Amino acid sequence: MESVSRDLQPGPFAARILSRRWLSPTAFELTLERPPGFDFQPGQRVRLGIGPNARDYSIAAAPGGPDIVLCIRRVAGGEVSTWLSKAGIGTELCGSGPHGYFTFTPSPRPAIFVATGTGVAPFVSMARAGTKGFTLLHGVKRVEDLFYRNLLAASAQRYIACLSEEAPVGSDVFAGRVTRHLERQVPPGTCDFYLCGRSEMIRDVTWLIDDRFPGSRVYSEIFY
Amino acid sequence: MKIYTGGGDRGKTSLFSGERVGKDNNRIEAYGDLDELNAVLGALAAGLPEASPGLQAELQAIQSDLFRIGAWLATTPGASAAESLPPIDPGRSVWLEGAIDRMEEDLSPLKTFILPGGHPSAAWAHVARTVCRRVERRVVRLAGDPPPGEAVAPLGRAMIYLNRLSDYLFVFARHCNRRHGIADTPWKA
Repeated sequence: MESVSRDLQPGPFAARILSRRWLSPTAFELTLERPPGFDFQPGQRVRLGIGPNARDYSIAAAPGGPDIVLCIRRVAGGEVSTWLSKAGIGTELCGSGPHGYFTFTPSPRPAIFVATGTGVAPFVSMARAGTKGFTLLHGVKRVEDLFYRNLLAASAQRYIACLSEEAPVGSDVFAGRVTRHLERQVPPGTCDFYLCGRSEMIRDVTWLIDDRFPGSRVYSEIFY
Repeated sequence: MKIYTGGGDRGKTSLFSGERVGKDNNRIEAYGDLDELNAVLGALAAGLPEASPGLQAELQAIQSDLFRIGAWLATTPGASAAESLPPIDPGRSVWLEGAIDRMEEDLSPLKTFILPGGHPSAAWAHVARTVCRRVERRVVRLAGDPPPGEAVAPLGRAMIYLNRLSDYLFVFARHCNRRHGIADTPWKA
C-alpha cells in the first residue's frame, strides 16, 4: 500500500445515508453514498457536520468501493453520534475529507496494530484494501464489542481480542487490556506500531513502546 | 475534544515519520522554533491596522507555508512518510522576493543600521525576523546531519525560503513604520 497521495486534497461533500447496521448495542456501521470524485487512502477520516458540531470518523471501507462506510460509537450525551444513530435513511449529510495521515506503509519491521473499540475502523479499511501479515490487538470490554472479528482475523497474521470485562473464550482471546498483552505476550523488538483508540490507551502503549520496544516507529490516531 | 494523550509526559514525542525522539532532539527544536515563528507572525497580523487586509492575507499565506515546512522538519529524510508530504515549492521564495521588491519601492535606501522598533507592528516584525533567523540556523544544523543527497533537498528549499522570509520581515518592519509616518531610528555608533 502506498502512502497518502499528495493529490488527495480534502474538500467539502454532501452524501446521503444509505444504510445503518448495528454492530453492538452501542456501535453501528453507517453507509453513505460515495460523492463523485471522492477518493481516500485506508486510515483516513471524514468530518461530518451536524448543526454547529463536527466530528471526525475513520472510514472502514476499502478505497475503490461504491460507498463510504463509517464505524461509529454512540456516545452517551454525544450530540453528533446520537443524531447519526437516529437519522433517517436518505438524509443528506454535509462533510469534508479525506483527512489525516494515519495510513499504513509496509516496512521490514513487524507491523503491530492496536485498537480500542471503534478505533479498529482504520484497520478494517486497511484489511479490506488487502493489507495482510500484521498483528492486531483489539481491546474491548466484552465479546459483543468485537465487531469485524472474522474479517480482521482472516487478514492478520495474529489477531488477539483483549477483553477487559469478560472471561476469555477461544485461542484468539486474551483476558486483560492491550497494554497487558503487549507487556506479557509480545517479545521485545523493533516494530512499527499503529495505535488508534482512546487517549489513555495511546498514552499507556506509547510509554510501553518506549520502555520495551526501543527504536520502534509509532503512528497514532486518537478516537473519542 | 481531548487533544492530549499524555504520551509525551516523559519527555519523548513521535516524529511524523514515526520515530520516538527526545523533545530536545534537533528536529523538535527546529519545528518548535518554527511554531514560535508562526505564532509571532500571528501576533504581528493581529496587531495590524484594519486597513491592511492585503498584508494580513500575505502573512497568513506565509503561515501556511510554514506549516508545510514544519511537516518536512518533523520527518526523517528518506522516510516513507515523506512521500505523503506536499513539496516545498521554490516558487514561494520567488513570491517573497516579489513582495520585498514591492514594499521597497516606497522606502528610502538605508545608509546605516537601524534600531529594531518604531510602530508596534514594526517592532513585532523585527521580533519575527529574529525568530526566523533562529529557525534558519536550526534548519542549517539539521541539513548538515544526514549525508548530502537528494533526501535533504526539501531542507535546502526550506533554508532558501527562511532566508528570504527574514529579509521580507525586515522590509515589512520598515514598511509598517513608513505607513504610520514613523522614521526608522538610525544606530549611533
